[in-house]
Amino acid sequence: MKSTAKRNRVRVYLALVLILLAGFLLSSIYIVGAAPAYQSTEEGKLIFESQCISCHTIGGGRLVGPDLNGIADRRETDWILRFIIEPDRMIAEGDADAAALLAEYNNLAMPNLNLTQTQAEAVFAYISSQSGAGQAQAQPVALPEGNTQRGLSLFVGEMGFENDGVACVACHTVGRVSAYGGGSLGPDLTHVYERYGEAGLASSLGGLPFPTMQGIYRDHPLSPQEQADLLAFFSWSDAQATEIPADQFTTTFWIWGLAGAAALFLIMAIFWMRQRHSISETLRSTS
Amino acid sequence: MSWNTLLFMIFPYVATVVAVVVTVYRSIYRPFTVSSLSSQLLERKKLYWGSVSFHYGVVIILLMHLLALLFPKGLQLWNAVPIRLYLLEFSGLALGIWSLVGLVVLVWRRISDARVRTVTTSMDVIVLLLLLVSMISGVLTATTYRFGSTWFTAVFSPYLWSLIVLQPQPELVAPLPWIIQLHALNYFILLFVFPFSRLVHIITLPLGYLIRPWQVVIWVREARARAD
Repeated sequence: MKSTAKRNRVRVYLALVLILLAGFLLSSIYIVGAAPAYQSTEEGKLIFESQCISCHTIGGGRLVGPDLNGIADRRETDWILRFIIEPDRMIAEGDADAAALLAEYNNLAMPNLNLTQTQAEAVFAYISSQSGAGQAQAQPVALPEGNTQRGLSLFVGEMGFENDGVACVACHTVGRVSAYGGGSLGPDLTHVYERYGEAGLASSLGGLPFPTMQGIYRDHPLSPQEQADLLAFFSWSDAQATEIPADQFTTTFWIWGLAGAAALFLIMAIFWMRQRHSISETLRSTS
Repeated sequence: MSWNTLLFMIFPYVATVVAVVVTVYRSIYRPFTVSSLSSQLLERKKLYWGSVSFHYGVVIILLMHLLALLFPKGLQLWNAVPIRLYLLEFSGLALGIWSLVGLVVLVWRRISDARVRTVTTSMDVIVLLLLLVSMISGVLTATTYRFGSTWFTAVFSPYLWSLIVLQPQPELVAPLPWIIQLHALNYFILLFVFPFSRLVHIITLPLGYLIRPWQVVIWVREARARAD
C-alpha cells in the first residue's frame, strides 16, 4: 500500500518536471519567434543607421568601407546579400572580389554582423532605394576639442565613461599603456588611427559597430567629448607609441600564474607535515 | 533557430530546471545518495595534494565569478588602477593553475590507484572530464584573452542577468572566441550533470556548524602517549 502511494507521488513529481521543462521550451521558442522580422525598407533603414553607417555612406564618398551608392549596378544581388550576411566566410574562402575589396580598404575586414537573410534583404532594399536619391551617410557630428591626457584616462579606466561603458583597456592595448600592457581579447589599437583614418575612426567611435562591442556599448554609448578625447589619444599613440606583441605579455602572465601556484603548493607542503596519520595507516606501516 | 539560441538561451534554462528539480527530488527521495562519496580511506596522499588544491582554488574562483555577477561596477572600479588589475589577474590565474594541477592529480589518482579505480563510476569520469574542460578553457581564457576580470562585467554579467530576469540576450556571447564560449557552455553542462553526479555534495555545505552549540572535544592521544 505504502509503496504504491510513494510510487504515485514519484509519478506526480516526474510529471511536474516534464511540465516545467516543456513550459520552458515552449516559452523560449515563443521568445525566439517573437523577434521582429525586418522586411520593409523602413526596417532596412533602422539596421543601416545602427550597424552600417559608421563605415559606409550612400553617395557620401568612402569612409572606412566603400560608398554603397549604386552598389546594385556594380555587383550581383546574390553576391551582395551573401557579403552582407557572412563577409568573414567569403574572405576566408578566397572570393576574388572580396579579397580585392579587402586589399583596397587597408585590410580592414568587414565584421560579420549576424544579420539574417531577411534583414540583409531589407538593408539591401534600403540601400537601393537611397542610391542616387540623396545622402545617407552619418552626419559628421562636429566633435569638441579632444584632450590626449583625458583620452588616456578614459582608455585605462581611471576616469569612468559618462554612460557607464566599460574601459577600453578591458580588451585593448595601446603601446606600453601600463606595466604589462592592456587587454588582449580585442585588437591592438596603437595604430588604429592610421588604419581607419581620422574620419573613419571618429565615426566608428560614435557607433562602435564591431560585433563584440555592439552588445556591450548598445546601452552605454560614448559621449561626443569622450569620443573626441579618445580620438586625440589614438592620434597621439599612432605617432608616438610602438606596438608590443600581445604574446610577450602572455608569457609574463604564465610566469606569474605558475609562480603563484607553486607558492600555494609550498604552503600545502607545510600542512602536509602536520597531517595526522590514520589508525589503519599506522597499523600497516608498523606491521 | 541558431546554435547561439539553442546553447546560450534554451539550454541554460533546461539545465537550471533539471538541476533544481532533480536535486530537490534526490534530497527528498534518495537523501543518503547526496554525498561526495569520499575515498579518503582508500588513498590519502594523492587525495591531499589533489583535493585540497582543487577545492580551495575552485571555490575561490567560483566566488569571484559570483562577485563579478553581483557587483560588476565595483569590480570595474577596483580594476581602474592598473596595479590592482594586474594583482587580481595574477592571483586569479595562480588559483586557476593551482586548481587545475590539483584536478590533474585527482584524475591521475583515479586512473593509477587500483582501490580508487574499483569505486569509480562512469559518472565520476564524466564529471572529471567536464571539470578538466572547464579549468583548461578558463586558464587559457585568462592568459590569452585578457582581462577577463574586467570584460566579464561587461559581457557575462549582463548576459547572466538577462537569463535571470527572463529576458535572455544570448547574442552578447555570440561574437566571443570559441574557447570562451566553450567555457560558458561547459558551466551549463556541469549544471545539467550536477544533480545526477557526486557534484550534489556542493549543497551539503555544513552551514549548521556556524550556529550549532559548542562541544567539548577531548583528545586522549597526547595523554596516552605521555602515560606510555
